Amino acid sequence: MVLGANLHLLPGFTVIGIVLGGVYALAAVGLVLIYRVSGVLNFAHGAVAMFSTFTAYEVSTVKGAPGWVGALVAIAVGAGLGFAIEWLTIRPLQGRPALVKVVVTIGWLLVLQTAAGLIWGATAYHQPVRLVSRDGFHLVGTDVTVGYDQLTTVIVALVFALAIAALLRYTTLGNAMRAVADNPDTARLWGISVNRVTAASWMVGSAMAAVAGVLITPLIAFDTFSLTVVVIYAFTAALIGRLSSLPMTVLGGFLLGLAQTYPRVFSSLSGTADLVTFTLVLLTLGVLFRPGGRKLRVV
Amino acid sequence: MTRTKASLLEVEHVTVRFGGVTALNDASLRVNAGEIVGLIGPNGAGKTTFFNCVTGVLKPDTGTVTFDGVEVGALPTHRRSRLGMARTFQNLQLFSGLTALENLMVAVDAHSQRGMLADAFRTPLARFEERRAEERARALLHFLDLSDRADTLAGDLPVGFQRRLDLGRALVGRPRLLLLDEPAAGLDTRETAQLADLLLRVRDRFSVTMLLVDHDMALVMRVCDHIYVLDFGEMLTQGAPAEIRRDETVIRAYLGEAVS
Amino acid sequence: MTTRARRLSLLVVALVAIVWPAMLSDFSRSLATDGLIFGLIVLSLVLLTGFVGQISFCQYSFAAVGAFTVGSLVAAHHWSFWLAMPLGVFGAALVGALVGIPALRLSGLFLTILTVAVALFFDRFVLASGTWNSFSGGLSSWVVGRPSFLGIHLDTSYRFYLFVLGVFSLCSLLVWNFRRGKTGRVLRAIRDAEIAASTLGINLTAWKLAAFATSAALAGLAGALLAVSIGSVSTGGYDLIHSLGVAAVATVMGVNSVASAAAGGLFLVFGPEILRHLGVSSQWFNLITGALLIGQLIVTPDGMVTDTQQKIRHLLQHRAAKRAASPAGRSGEVDLTERVPVRTGARS
Repeated sequence: MVLGANLHLLPGFTVIGIVLGGVYALAAVGLVLIYRVSGVLNFAHGAVAMFSTFTAYEVSTVKGAPGWVGALVAIAVGAGLGFAIEWLTIRPLQGRPALVKVVVTIGWLLVLQTAAGLIWGATAYHQPVRLVSRDGFHLVGTDVTVGYDQLTTVIVALVFALAIAALLRYTTLGNAMRAVADNPDTARLWGISVNRVTAASWMVGSAMAAVAGVLITPLIAFDTFSLTVVVIYAFTAALIGRLSSLPMTVLGGFLLGLAQTYPRVFSSLSGTADLVTFTLVLLTLGVLFRPGGRKLRVV
Repeated sequence: MTRTKASLLEVEHVTVRFGGVTALNDASLRVNAGEIVGLIGPNGAGKTTFFNCVTGVLKPDTGTVTFDGVEVGALPTHRRSRLGMARTFQNLQLFSGLTALENLMVAVDAHSQRGMLADAFRTPLARFEERRAEERARALLHFLDLSDRADTLAGDLPVGFQRRLDLGRALVGRPRLLLLDEPAAGLDTRETAQLADLLLRVRDRFSVTMLLVDHDMALVMRVCDHIYVLDFGEMLTQGAPAEIRRDETVIRAYLGEAVS
Repeated sequence: MTTRARRLSLLVVALVAIVWPAMLSDFSRSLATDGLIFGLIVLSLVLLTGFVGQISFCQYSFAAVGAFTVGSLVAAHHWSFWLAMPLGVFGAALVGALVGIPALRLSGLFLTILTVAVALFFDRFVLASGTWNSFSGGLSSWVVGRPSFLGIHLDTSYRFYLFVLGVFSLCSLLVWNFRRGKTGRVLRAIRDAEIAASTLGINLTAWKLAAFATSAALAGLAGALLAVSIGSVSTGGYDLIHSLGVAAVATVMGVNSVASAAAGGLFLVFGPEILRHLGVSSQWFNLITGALLIGQLIVTPDGMVTDTQQKIRHLLQHRAAKRAASPAGRSGEVDLTERVPVRTGARS
């Protein structure tokens, strides 16, 4: 194959990469928030996103409600699931090794994944949840078409990521979250209810996952498994941010989105995206990652 | 008192910086064979940093660490251990999920070359070494007065017992130099006195040289032949216990700590 | 448990394991065979998680290395199974050691992310139909026949079952030998306190990599046997969800006990079967496993099999203590009572 043959696709793929990256960034921000505040690597993050998104699908695509209603339902379900996971299964494990908590989230992954398969069908094709029309516009001076849905996805993802940053910087709850992330014991001395703040971080983080899930459905195969494994993409972005810096995490999300998309210019193999992800995880863990940064860095 | 015996450990002009902070500045120390040498100093004086340089947990920015004529500054911890250095831990890094007996057996195991294959098929060599390791571990438990706790998980032992087990684990490899990091931490007066007796018994029975880092003056004065005083990352002074007890600068360094 | 009681119970288990399947249907027997093969994968986690304290979510990827090596060599290149199988096991061990390299400087927590990435990489790239066809020449699946063992052709389901039972027992024995020998002690020591272990002269790098490689080798062996058991190798069945499921089952059963391996493996095949008999979709199985996992971690932290074993042991010890009732072994208590007030006073 001549490598240059498909280069004219590059601008279009850039758009797709940025859109994907925005979604990964959003999911990763939620993941980092949960990890920093509660110390748990939440492997069920993708499954929460998937389950919430399927409720949006049920409300909007099946029952015919407007897309934004579905999205709101998904956000509520996501926050509810986040609260349930923290309250029912993470809190009772206080003081147990971090690996045990990781395994609990795997349990949730299996439960949510299977439950969604039983309710909505494990392998069936599902109509994506649409927030806006599929029309698009030409990017000025090029022949690249940008869909309104793509534009919406990026904007919504960035707005939510910024909202999280603002929450952490300017609100009492955000300050409390940062204090708990820093040191739960000290936070307790200041009169912060660590339990309540941890639960809040799970709710906010999981709601982010839900939004990311709804936004990603038009872009990837919309089935139970594909959405569940988005967690590993979110982890990759989070690792680039060393699981502590939110701006670097967002950047990592975009980097991953583009890195997954560009190889498709040259190769038609379906798993290339995962090859790239795997390489990036290996690179960040093996070379770049020093698990030293402790603070949750908002800027 | 002049010290003429052969030196076993020589630390020369060691400097360690963490970012902008100089934790150790041009610190030197010598331990002669057969001695128990103490390193004391107020909190934050750099004792632990110094200790970590000797054991190999930290690499000094400048300076040398020579053990028995061999420059070990660049060697990883497990290589230094094979040369005959052993250490105990201030925060008691026992293998808490292993029994007291197993804690000592692991230390014996570390010196055997046997790999997983011999273990998998329980070859005659494996069985023989296993039996010998258990015998040695039991003998040591007896010496430490821990025989009746052989099958207790190390994590479930009282702190005083854990200290003894930690000491025993370091002794298994018959080290020539034993590095003790705050062995009296967490012990009451009576337990500290028992520990001092045990340390003297250990020196006689195992003919081992010791470097002891602690700020429990009672322990240090009782067991050490020679004492170094560290303050703000620098060696303040050194001498026999009686000299140190009278030394003005040492008293000031310690009083300064007590007042502040 | 006393040595005699243990030997007796082992003998009973062995007799049941040999005789009972002879009376079962072909179908149930092949299920039991597969159960033992899955048991090997659970065993690989007993080694890795139980000894080293590292959880892995990519054991089926290692199994895939074994299965595909056997598949390609036996089916496409007409090798003997007995040459292909060791190569598959070795290949899996190599991949396992590679995955273990980052473990040398990372805490286990972050390594779990890598294991998921590995599983996904195998699942969606290496074993994806597109990639796969480009190196296997478009074969949808490889057909692997049953080999002979010591001149006996393993063509009937009972013979093959016995062969797998033998392999499984041997591997369990090896892991049990690790557990009670130097290997188990050293690995558990590394798990509990790395710095202390290295101070004793234990080479952390070598032991950790060896543990990863051995664990992956066991999973690779399971893959090679699975290829023969199913009779063909195709890309399905080695995915992330399977790896997560087996990790969940291993945890539920308890990774500290070799006996969990058999229990876990049989649970993995008979669980869905029982559901089917009850008229419930076998899809429910993973949901039940997940729920069991969550419940078990909160209620019995050590796992079900380990927990039961401990209860039996306590019961036996309790009885033995009653029978003996000798105060001689209790002399240490005096020393303890002297210390306890000091310690509790300092702690509280």
